[in-house]
Amino acid sequence: MGGALARFAVDAPLVLWLLPLALLPLRRSAQRVVPVAAVDAGPADALSQAVGWTLRFAGCLTLAGLVVGIAGPYRRGETITRTGIGAQISILVDRSGSMNETFAGRQPSGAEESKAAASRRLLGDFVGSRAHDQFAVTAFSTAPMLVVPMTDRHAAVRAAIQAIDRPGLDYTNVARGLAMGLAQFGPQAANVSRALLMVSDGAAVIDPRVQGTLRAEFARVRPNLYWLFLRTKGSPSISDKPAGEDTPQAAPERHLDLFFKSLGVPYRAFEAEGPEAVAAAIRQIEALERDPIPYTEQRPRRDLSWVAFGAALFGLLVLVAGKLAEADLRRARGANRLVAEAPSERIAA
Amino acid sequence: MKIPLARNLRDGRFQALAGATVLTVLTFVLPALPLTRNGVSVLAVVDITGSMNVRDYTGPDGKPVSRLETARGALRDLVAALPCGSRVALGLFTERRPFLLFTPIEVCADFAPLDGALAVLDWRMAWEGDSRISAGLFRAVEMARDLGTDLLFITDGQEAPPLPSTGGPTFDGKPGAVRGLIVGAGAYALSPIPRYNDRGREIGFYGAGDVQQENRFGPPPADAESREGYNPRNAPFGGAAATGSEHLSSVREPYLKTLASQTGLTYAHLDGPGGLGPRLLAAATPRPLPGRLDLRPFLGGAALALVLAVFLLPIARALSVPRALTLKKA
Repeated sequence: MGGALARFAVDAPLVLWLLPLALLPLRRSAQRVVPVAAVDAGPADALSQAVGWTLRFAGCLTLAGLVVGIAGPYRRGETITRTGIGAQISILVDRSGSMNETFAGRQPSGAEESKAAASRRLLGDFVGSRAHDQFAVTAFSTAPMLVVPMTDRHAAVRAAIQAIDRPGLDYTNVARGLAMGLAQFGPQAANVSRALLMVSDGAAVIDPRVQGTLRAEFARVRPNLYWLFLRTKGSPSISDKPAGEDTPQAAPERHLDLFFKSLGVPYRAFEAEGPEAVAAAIRQIEALERDPIPYTEQRPRRDLSWVAFGAALFGLLVLVAGKLAEADLRRARGANRLVAEAPSERIAA
Repeated sequence: MKIPLARNLRDGRFQALAGATVLTVLTFVLPALPLTRNGVSVLAVVDITGSMNVRDYTGPDGKPVSRLETARGALRDLVAALPCGSRVALGLFTERRPFLLFTPIEVCADFAPLDGALAVLDWRMAWEGDSRISAGLFRAVEMARDLGTDLLFITDGQEAPPLPSTGGPTFDGKPGAVRGLIVGAGAYALSPIPRYNDRGREIGFYGAGDVQQENRFGPPPADAESREGYNPRNAPFGGAAATGSEHLSSVREPYLKTLASQTGLTYAHLDGPGGLGPRLLAAATPRPLPGRLDLRPFLGGAALALVLAVFLLPIARALSVPRALTLKKA
């Protein structure tokens, strides 16, 4: 009962304080008041009584209906949880300055597209291509920045993606970005498919002290990890071993890849050297992330003012009919006219 | 008994009830009135530099609250108060430039992510420690022009490092081309600035020696010659270390007002976590939004007044006419 009632609400609850006015017709009548010396002298008339109560009830209904109608009643919108196909995808975008160069490592000129512009265009298409995906966007350079929390509002996510080809900031601090990207998943049901998509054009050394913390986080959240590596032509690939010493400082990309591989979560790296390769990688990710996901659907709220106004209208029609069919005892009898109208509780009909 | 129809029709109470009936019927017939309301489209840029951590606001429970937290509260309140269809973009400011987090988002349909993004605004997102307000503001104006929005720039106005004696950068845009608000955050009295270590934990406050008190890049100020220990070659800024109150912070209202007049923006002081809505609506470019005015409450209200008059009028009349005779049945 309480649950059913809780689904109803009004726009202006304060107006409902006027509801006691609806009791007014029980004491007052809209009909002509005719003083009668002794009502008890007449025989009890069942029909008159019924008409009297009908009119009182109609008056109550009218006033109550109008008050409730003005308050604007509605039935709340509902949130229904259904199951669709999709995933929770946390997008982690590198906003360091080098993202604004082309894949050839130059400043974009003419028809050339910078890495950031290409990823903006392609990721923007990706977001919203499936209705039930949920996205979160995190940007990172020197510090990680939470841009949009996990949401199914794709317009907001696209607005965040729109901003990624603006001039970037200084450095690439992968570790803190990864930590925040993971934190975006939140404590949700474990059976949802989760994916962490990192888009960057470089890598950096992950401090060994932070590595342990990151490993623990990855083990807890267990996302599928995708690294979209926007490689500049001529720069070292993920798999290239450096000629000299093989340290994280000498080949950060290779060692970040090794770190990801050692995490024990499903991991794929995509090396893209041009927009087409980026598009192909995103298509693959889309195909891989096909699991059931619970999503919520909003049922809009339903306006119920018409019910209240309908009730008021019904009451009003009865009252109007009562007024039209009114007899005038005073005129009819003519003889016993009293000077003042005296209050009487009886209704003349 | 004959019903005196003509007389009944002339009765004022019948006419009132009939009028109420017509009004109630109209609630079913009349469509909602289309009208345009004024919304805004605004780029909100929040200063997240160190001085915004100063706790010189008082929270609802009497505890001190930082400027950034108050600004965050004010923005969340603003987003909830703006008419549907208004759009808000969000940027951060530190160093000397704004950083756009997202392009404009509609405040009603996408309220949840927008509110979520505002709720987590944090000084830890800062990428550098400097706070060159004027440079940041001028670039924010440019960014807002780019996006086709107005600007809401929340800052305390404390330049770090202090401006050189020659003054800051000059605004080379067109004043007034972008409208909006500069919101000054902070109290008018000086307060200490909290200091954090490299792991983000608070470790006390900045002391006088921890910050640059005077900008000694560029040419020395005009009064340098009168300073003690002045030497044109070896001590062009005087012999003594600079002193000042740059390690303390208050809202730099005169400076922000100067910036506002240079850029054609309006200045407003942030008094607490609320109340930005009306001031922004007044300062920003009004953007017409399609809206609907539901006429039913008005029609219903008029009908209610008529019906109440019908029931209450006899009382009023009875009260005004002295009764000669009272017949009362218990």
